[in-house]
Amino acid sequence: MASLSGLTDQQAKEFHEQFKVTYTAFVGLAALAHLFVIAANPWW
Amino acid sequence: MSNVAKPRNPEDDWKIWLVVNPATWLMPIFYALLVLAIAVHAVVFSVGLGWQ
Repeated sequence: MASLSGLTDQQAKEFHEQFKVTYTAFVGLAALAHLFVIAANPWW
Repeated sequence: MSNVAKPRNPEDDWKIWLVVNPATWLMPIFYALLVLAIAVHAVVFSVGLGWQ
């Protein structure tokens, strides 16, 4: 049965693996940026 | 509607791509994230927490 998006289970799982990697990198960079701001100019 | 299978997350997270096609929606998702980031920065700067 075709999915709503047209992706197969295998394609969805494969894409999700890359999505998790990229999203983790994004969160890591954002955390680093926040640490720099905390070091330079804490907001509390 | 009550007997619909409930997802178990995060192990079922990947199933979102059976509904949302990333070939169509990945860039709109990134642009929404960019708009959100710009909005958050605008608020942070407007309340005086930016560098002056």
